[in-house]
Amino acid sequence: MSLDSQDPRAAGSDEPTVELEFELNGSVEKQAVPTSTTVLDLLRNGFGKRGVRSSCERSVCGACTVLVDDLPVAACSTFAFDIDGTRVETVEGLAAHDGTLSAQQRAFRECGGFQCGFCTSGMLMLTTGLLRANPQPDREEIREWISSNTCRCTGYEMILESVERAAELAREREPDEESS
Amino acid sequence: MRAQKLGAGLIAQNQSALPPFILYRPTSLAEAAALTQEHPEAVIAAGCSDLVAQFREGCEPGVLISLQHVDELRAISQERGVLRIGSLVTHHGGSTSPEILSSLPALAAAWGSIATVRIRYRGTLGGNLLARRFRYELPIIFSALDGHMHFQAGEDLATLPVSSLWDSDAGISGILTSVSVETGTLLWYGYERSMRPVSTVSLAVRKHAVAGLAITAVCGSEYRRPFVLSHAAEASTIAELDADFVGTALAAQLPDEAGDYAGTIAYRRHLVSVLTRRLLARATGNQKK
Ligand SMILES: Cc1cc2nc3c(=O)[nH]c(=O)nc-3n(C[C@H](O)[C@H](O)[C@H](O)COP(=O)(O)OP(=O)(O)OC[C@H]3O[C@@H](n4cnc5c(N)ncnc54)[C@H](O)[C@@H]3O)c2cc1C
Ligand code: FES
Ligand code: FES
Repeated sequence: MSLDSQDPRAAGSDEPTVELEFELNGSVEKQAVPTSTTVLDLLRNGFGKRGVRSSCERSVCGACTVLVDDLPVAACSTFAFDIDGTRVETVEGLAAHDGTLSAQQRAFRECGGFQCGFCTSGMLMLTTGLLRANPQPDREEIREWISSNTCRCTGYEMILESVERAAELAREREPDEESS
Repeated sequence: MRAQKLGAGLIAQNQSALPPFILYRPTSLAEAAALTQEHPEAVIAAGCSDLVAQFREGCEPGVLISLQHVDELRAISQERGVLRIGSLVTHHGGSTSPEILSSLPALAAAWGSIATVRIRYRGTLGGNLLARRFRYELPIIFSALDGHMHFQAGEDLATLPVSSLWDSDAGISGILTSVSVETGTLLWYGYERSMRPVSTVSLAVRKHAVAGLAITAVCGSEYRRPFVLSHAAEASTIAELDADFVGTALAAQLPDEAGDYAGTIAYRRHLVSVLTRRLLARATGNQKK
């Protein structure tokens, strides 16, 4: 039987912690955190990933969306212990090392899929997850996915267009990637 | 403001800091069951999509047992007319499972209609049922299907109908391992959530044990517990059912306490009869334009 966390009453330490090992935007990270740490707090405070926005903290708005093993997850409502052994991606990992924007980022910029930009990192991660699950989603599927994230500014039409354009750009880019 | 149990200071309930707990991550059901015996006060965690909200509402467990590594709770099987679904099956998993799609496609369709994409990948059957929130839909869906919950507490096993979730003396304890649905006598199933959150209706038609048809409708809403309504019809096929009569008979059983902030009892009875008729029309293929 595995006792994963330290019992503070037994060990005399301040609070129980859990050891985590996970991949963050391609690099392996190891950290001990209090058992109740959320992924949101870990990424923002522990790793400075401020693109993981904090808003409703109830899984509702999608501002904090990150990908865990390719699937969109609300960082605000996921305990850090649940990302142990997984692959986590945030918006900071989308652009290439030389600063070249990803297909999703270029599409949102080209189609004006944002105004104030607060929701944009969550929208970009959701789009990334969608295009991995289905590189050619139809409008209905895009609407179904995007409806899980809240945008207070755009009225969604331009976000829908951005996702469609991102799918196009990603497909256009594939042959280049294969030859490089 | 409130003080945290394990000494992390004072926090407001909507602040991100949550009270720490002692964490166990068992890798088998036997290990998890032994832990619940050792720590009867422990909180069980599946996808945690509801639990984090519970924490923010003031829940402060001293011990938390996460089931995420107990893979046997993800099994789905169909044997001898019984569909058995592991409690850790997610909404996405349940609505796309080949076993469910082949044995009870209407359940997969109903399950596929709930929640948002993030929750669909994370939220589980067990968590949806045992959060025991009126607005959650799997208790409504599985109650109409006469689903049964199977629990393990230490060495003890217990089986309870899903419809008993709302009985205060139901004796729910331990780990929910699976939910079973008998599919042999089931003739038709459908779910109407177009009027959510005011009223949803989940409806199943079965062959009656003796003769005729047994119709079960479960009515859900945002603010009131789900209510199970039933009707025995002499008809031998669904096509022979009088949808207007059955809809009215079922709606009349809705007790006065089912009226809530979103709709009076008269309005909710009206909705239940309309949604039930709509479902029965779908069942018989006599849908009016
Ligand atoms: C934005 C949002 C939208 C949603 N939309 C919908 C919707 O449209 N329809 C709907 O029905 N639901 C909806 N939900 C609710 C969602 O389906 C539930 O939060 C989810 O199913 C809970 O599953 P979980 O595995 O995350 O549970 P957890 O949070 O892990 O657990 C919930 C409760 O169940 C207990 N528990 C969990 N598993 C077990 C087990 N095996 N044995 C014993 N106890 C257990 C826990 O102790 C806890 O009390 C929504 C939630 C959110 C945040
Ligand atoms: S902050 Fe996480 S979903 Fe809103
Ligand atoms: S661009 Fe402002 S919230 Fe979406």
